[in-house]
Amino acid sequence: MHRLLSGSFLLALCAIAQDGAKVIRENCAPCHGGAGLTSSGLSLTGRQQAMQGGERGPALVPGKSAESRIYRFAAGLESPQMPPNKPLSAEQLQVLRDWIDRGAEWKDAPAESVAKVSAELASLEDRPIKPQERAWWAFQKPVRASLPTATTNPVDAFLEAKWEQKGLVAQKPAERRILLRRAYLDITGLPPNRDQIATFLADKSPKAWEKVVDQLLASPHYGERWARHWLDISRYADSGGYEFDRDRDNAWRYRDYVAKSFSSDKPYDRFLQEQIAGDEIWPDSSEAHIATGYLRLGAENNIRNEQTRLDELDDVVVTTANSLMGMTVGCARCHNHKFDPIPQKDYYRMQAVFWPTTTEERPLVGEDDVAKHKAEVKRIQELQKPLKSSVEAIVKPYKDAYIAEKKAALPDYMKLAMATPADKRNDGQKLNVIQVEKTLAGTPDTLPERFSATDKTDYDQLNKQIADLTASMPKLPTAMAITEKGPTPTPSYFLHRGSQKGSVMQPGVLSVATETEWPFPAPPEGAKTSHRREAFSRWLTDTNNPLTARVMVNRIWQHHFGEGLVRTPNNFGKMGERPTHPELLDWLSVEFMSNGWHIKPIHKMILMSSAYRMASDDIESNLSKDPENRLLWRMPRRRVEGEVLRDSMLAVAGSLDMTVGGPPIYPWIDPSLFQGSSKRTWNGRPDEDPTTWRRSIYVFSKRSIPLPMLEVFDKPDTIGSCARRTRSTVAPQALILMNNSFVAVHAKRFSDRLQKEAGSDRDKLISLAFEHALSRTPSESERRQAKEFLAKDSAALVDFCQALFNLNEFVYIL
Amino acid sequence: MQQRFWSRRQLLDRVGGGIAGMAATQLLHTETASGSSLMAPRLPHFPGKAKNVISIFCYGGVSHIDTFDPKPYLVKHAGETIPGKNITPSQGTPGGLMPSLWETKKYGQCGMDVSTLFPHVAKHVDKLALIRSMYSKSNDHAPALFQMNTGSIQAGYPSVGSWATYGLGTINQNLPAFVVFSDPRGGPIGGAPNWGNGFMPAAYQGTQFRATGDPIVDLKPPKGMDDARQRRWLAFLQKINEEHLAKNPQDSELSARIASYELAYQMQTEASDAVDLAKESPAMQSLYGIDNRSSEYVGRQCLMARRLVERGVRYVQIFSGGGNFQDSWDAHWDMRANHEMHCAETDKPIAGLLTDLAARGMLDSTLVIWHGEFGRLPISQRMDGRDHNPYGFSIWMAGGGIKGGTIVGATDDFGLAAAENKKSVNDVHATVLHCLGFDHTRLTYPYNGRQMRLTDVEGEVIKEVIA
Repeated sequence: MHRLLSGSFLLALCAIAQDGAKVIRENCAPCHGGAGLTSSGLSLTGRQQAMQGGERGPALVPGKSAESRIYRFAAGLESPQMPPNKPLSAEQLQVLRDWIDRGAEWKDAPAESVAKVSAELASLEDRPIKPQERAWWAFQKPVRASLPTATTNPVDAFLEAKWEQKGLVAQKPAERRILLRRAYLDITGLPPNRDQIATFLADKSPKAWEKVVDQLLASPHYGERWARHWLDISRYADSGGYEFDRDRDNAWRYRDYVAKSFSSDKPYDRFLQEQIAGDEIWPDSSEAHIATGYLRLGAENNIRNEQTRLDELDDVVVTTANSLMGMTVGCARCHNHKFDPIPQKDYYRMQAVFWPTTTEERPLVGEDDVAKHKAEVKRIQELQKPLKSSVEAIVKPYKDAYIAEKKAALPDYMKLAMATPADKRNDGQKLNVIQVEKTLAGTPDTLPERFSATDKTDYDQLNKQIADLTASMPKLPTAMAITEKGPTPTPSYFLHRGSQKGSVMQPGVLSVATETEWPFPAPPEGAKTSHRREAFSRWLTDTNNPLTARVMVNRIWQHHFGEGLVRTPNNFGKMGERPTHPELLDWLSVEFMSNGWHIKPIHKMILMSSAYRMASDDIESNLSKDPENRLLWRMPRRRVEGEVLRDSMLAVAGSLDMTVGGPPIYPWIDPSLFQGSSKRTWNGRPDEDPTTWRRSIYVFSKRSIPLPMLEVFDKPDTIGSCARRTRSTVAPQALILMNNSFVAVHAKRFSDRLQKEAGSDRDKLISLAFEHALSRTPSESERRQAKEFLAKDSAALVDFCQALFNLNEFVYIL
Repeated sequence: MQQRFWSRRQLLDRVGGGIAGMAATQLLHTETASGSSLMAPRLPHFPGKAKNVISIFCYGGVSHIDTFDPKPYLVKHAGETIPGKNITPSQGTPGGLMPSLWETKKYGQCGMDVSTLFPHVAKHVDKLALIRSMYSKSNDHAPALFQMNTGSIQAGYPSVGSWATYGLGTINQNLPAFVVFSDPRGGPIGGAPNWGNGFMPAAYQGTQFRATGDPIVDLKPPKGMDDARQRRWLAFLQKINEEHLAKNPQDSELSARIASYELAYQMQTEASDAVDLAKESPAMQSLYGIDNRSSEYVGRQCLMARRLVERGVRYVQIFSGGGNFQDSWDAHWDMRANHEMHCAETDKPIAGLLTDLAARGMLDSTLVIWHGEFGRLPISQRMDGRDHNPYGFSIWMAGGGIKGGTIVGATDDFGLAAAENKKSVNDVHATVLHCLGFDHTRLTYPYNGRQMRLTDVEGEVIKEVIA
C-alpha cells in the first residue's frame, strides 16, 4: 500500500517536473483568463500574456522567479496569497520556481488528447436545419399583403375581414371621455386632467383625435410609460441579487436611456445596436456606452468562477433571444431544442458573441476630470493614513492580549500543533498552524468592547474622521457598461450537456432564421474589441431578419390591446401561439422596417384605427362565437399595472412630482418585510415625504426587497425577461389599497384638493372628484350615493376619496 | 360569527347571476383566458397523506456532524488531514479535522443518534425519517437557499410553497395559503425570491408573517380608521362597483375584484385570530418553550404555525437564523456559541410542535421538514468554526405520510460527503410532493414553451421514508 502510494506520487511528480505551465494552467488560469474571467486584468493563458501581466504589472519575468509576481503571490511573498484558499503545495511551488528560473518555456496543453475527444464529440455537434423547418411562419420573411377591405387604416382592414368571416359584430365607438382616458393611461400611464378632458370635448374638428394622439406621443411621459415595458423584458433592476444584492448606483442611467430613446423615437434598429454593441459602433457616444448596460442587467452571483460566468452568459443569450428574437434558446445550452429547429451549436455560437465581454464602470466625464478625481481621492487617502496609524496604535495592546487568550483556549490538538517545531509538523498540523495564525491576524469586530473608556472615545473619534473623509470623496459619474479586453478573444467552446468541452466556437446567429452564413468580419485596424457584437447586432437589425420587427410590432400591439397578435410574445416557436392576424402582423412589420424602424408611426397607425376607438363593452351575440374577444370585436378591458395605479393615485391627489429622469427614489417599506442586515437594507422615506411622490419607474428596484404595492400587483421578478405580466386578483391587493399608509396619505391629499377646489359646494365637489379620478361626471345614482355617504361627518370625505382609488373603474383601462 | 360589510346573499345576487350558490371565494382568479380559479381547493393526483407542510429552515447551514450524524473518526483523528483529500472551503484557510464538541446518545426504539444539542427533539426520533446522505449543488448561501426552496440554484423559480398552493389551492380563503416567518435578526440571504412565485401568478407567493404585533403588513387600517368607518366606505365602494359591473355583468375579472374586498375584510379578523396566542393555555405555551427567553420567538412561530395549519394554511415556512454569520447557523467560527444558541432557540419549539400535532391528530396530515441549505465541513475553520458543506448533510421529515424511526443513507467516515444511497434536493422535493398526493413529474406549469416542474428533469421519491 505504502509503495503503491509513493510510486504514484513519484509518477505524478515526474509528469509535472518540467512543466510550470501546467501548474499555472490548473491552479491559476481558471480565474485568470482560462474561463473567460480575468481577475485583476491578468490573463495567464500563455507566456506572452503572463509577461504582459495585469493591473499590478507583469506577472512573469523568465529566468527570475524572485521578480515574477506569479511566484511571489503563490509563495505568499506578497498578499493576498494565491490561489485564494488553496495554496500550492511545496512541490508545486518548487516546480514553478525552477521552471521560471529555467526560462519559463511555455508548452501548451498536450493537443493530442483534446483533439481526439473533440473528434468524437464534434460528430454530435452538427444538427443541420431542414428546409421544411425554415417554413415555420416566424422564420419566413414578413411580406405585405394587399388590404382585404377597402378601409384605409390597415389595422381596421385586417380586423374587419376576420369579423366578417366569423359573423361578429363590431362594437360602436367609445364615449369620448372613456377614449381619452384610455389613450392617456395607455400612452403616458397617467389619467388626463380636467383641462385636457375639456379641450378634447370642446374640439369639434375632425382632427381632434389626431391632435390628442400627436400630443401624447410627443409627451416625455410617453417615454416613461413605454420604457417600463422595455425594462420588463430586459429584466431591469437596480441591484445585483443573490447573497449581497449589491446596489447598482448607476443602473438608472440605462433606465433613463431607454425612456429617452422612446421619447425621441429613436429608430429601433439603432436602439438594439446600441444595447448590443454601442461601445463598438459609437465609441465616442456616452449614450451608446450606457446602452450596453442592457448586457449587464442580469442578476449577479457574488461567487465568481467558470460556472457563474457561464450562467451570466446564459442570462445574456437567453434574454436576448427571448426579448429581441421571440425565441426560447435556454434548452439548447444542454441539447438541441426539442421543439424548435435550434441546434445546440447555435446557442454556443451566440454565446461566443458575448464571450469576450467584460464589465466597465465607464466615466462619463473627460480625461481631465477623471485625473482630477483620482488626485482628489489620493489626497484624501493620504489624509487618512496618519489617522489609521493612530487607530492601529490604540488597537495593538488589546489585540495582543486577545491573541494570547485565544491561543490559550485552543483545543489540545491545536496546541500540540503550535508547539511542534515547524519542520516536524504533519500535514494537519501545518494547516492548523497556518489557520490559527491567519485567523488571529484579523481583528474581531468585538474587540472594541474591551477598550478602556478613553481609548474607546479616541477610537470612535478617529474612525469617524476617517469615515467623514471617505464620505467626502467625490463620486465620478459612470455608466454601467460593457467592453472587451482586446480584439482577439480567448476561445470559447461547445459544451456537451452544458459542461463537457467540445469544439472551439466561432460567433454565429440563429441559423434557422438566416439562409446563408452571417459574416463576422475581423475587427477593424486598431480595434479595442472583437466586434463580434457589432456583427450580431447588424444581423439582428437586418431587414431580412424575419423575427426582430415582428417581435417588436407584436409588443407594441400587446401594450395597446392587452394581448399581442401572438399571445406568447417571447416565444414565436412551435410551443408558442400562432398569430391571430398573421397578415396584419406582417403588414405592420414591413411598415415598421420601411419607415426606418420608427416606433411612433406604428403607435399612430394603431391609435388612429377605428378598432382602438371602440367601446370595451360586451356584445351578447358575440360572446358565444368568440368569448375571449380574440378577434378584437371590442376593446379589451384590462387592469392597469401596479405602477400605473400608484402613479394615478399620486396624479389624482395632486401630489405627483412630474420630474423626468434622474437617480432613483426610496418609498417606505415596512422594515419587518426586509429586516435588513448591513448588506440588504432599504432606506425608505416616509410616505409623507414629497421626494417619494414621483412616478413608479423611478422607484429603486431592489431584487431582494420589492416594493409591496408593485409586488402584489404582479410586478415582474426581474430575473428573466417578462413579456407579459400576469394579472391576478387576490385579497392582499385589496388589503394594501385598504390599509397601506401611502393610499391613506394621498386619499387625504385628494380630499384637501377637493375641498380647496369646491369649498362647501357638495355637488361641485362630487363632480370634481369623479372627474379627477375617473375622467367623467357621476351618474345620478352615484351622485346620490356619494351625497349620502358624505353627509355622515367630516371624516367621510377622506374615506370617499379612498373608495374612489379602490374602484374597479379606477384600476381598469376601459 | 364574522362580520361582513355586505351580505353574502347580496354578493351572490350581484356577482352570481347564473352562478348563484358558488362560493365567492371561487371567483378569485387570474387571466380571463384561463377561466379557472387560482385559489380554489383542488384534488391532487392521488390521495396524499399530507394536506399541509411546515418547513423549518435552519438558515446558514446547520452542522450535521454536530447534530444528527456523529463521526467517531473525527475524535480519533482530531487535527489530522483526510488521507488523499484536499478540502477546499468556500472561504478562509482549511484546517485539520475537528471533532464535534457535543456528545451523542442513542434515542428511541430506532436507536437514532442525536447530539446533546437537541435533547427535546431527540425524544421524537421514532417520528422522524432522517436522511443522512443529502447533497446539493452550491456552497454559497443564496444559490443553496434557492435550490432548497425552489429546486434551482438560480433565482426566479417558484418555491415549494408556491407549488403546493398551485397544486392544492386552499380551503381557507380568509388566510394566505403560504406563510413565511423570518427570524427577527434578519431575513435569509436572497430575500423575497426564497418564497417567490417565479413564473407563476403572484397569488402563489409566500406572505410574510410577523410573530409579534399584526401578523401581516397592512392587515389593519391605519390609526384612526375604526371598523365601523371601514365597513361604511367598503359598502359604498361596493355599490359604485356594482353599478359599474352592471354594464358588463359577465366579466368575471371585475366580479372577482369585488369579491376580493370581502375576503380581505375577513382576513383582517381571521389572520389576527390565527396568531392570537392569548387563546392558548400557559401549559401549551410552555410546551413550545414560549416561557423561556431563548426559545420564545421560535416557540411563538411554531405555535402560530400549528394554528395556521389548523385553519387550512397549506404551507408554513419558518426561518431560524437571519442576517449574517453568528445571527444565522453559519458558524464560520465559534461553533460552540453558534450552535448552542440556535439549538436552544429551536429545540423545545420543534419538539413542542411535534408533540402538539401528534396529540391533536394533526401530525398524520401535516408534513414537518427540518433542514438547512447545506451542512458543514468536518475540518476546522478560523480555529473553532466550520465552513459550508454541500457534499453531505442531514435533513429530517416527520408526519404526513412519513415513516418514523427511519434512517436513510450515510456520509463517509469523516462526514465530508454523502457516500451511501445519496439523495438530492430534487429527491426531497419529489418526496414532499408525493406526500401531498402529487406525481412530481406530472405537476407542471407552462412557461416559456416548456412544462416546468419543481424537480426539473430529475428527482425520485425517497421510498424508504414513505409510510
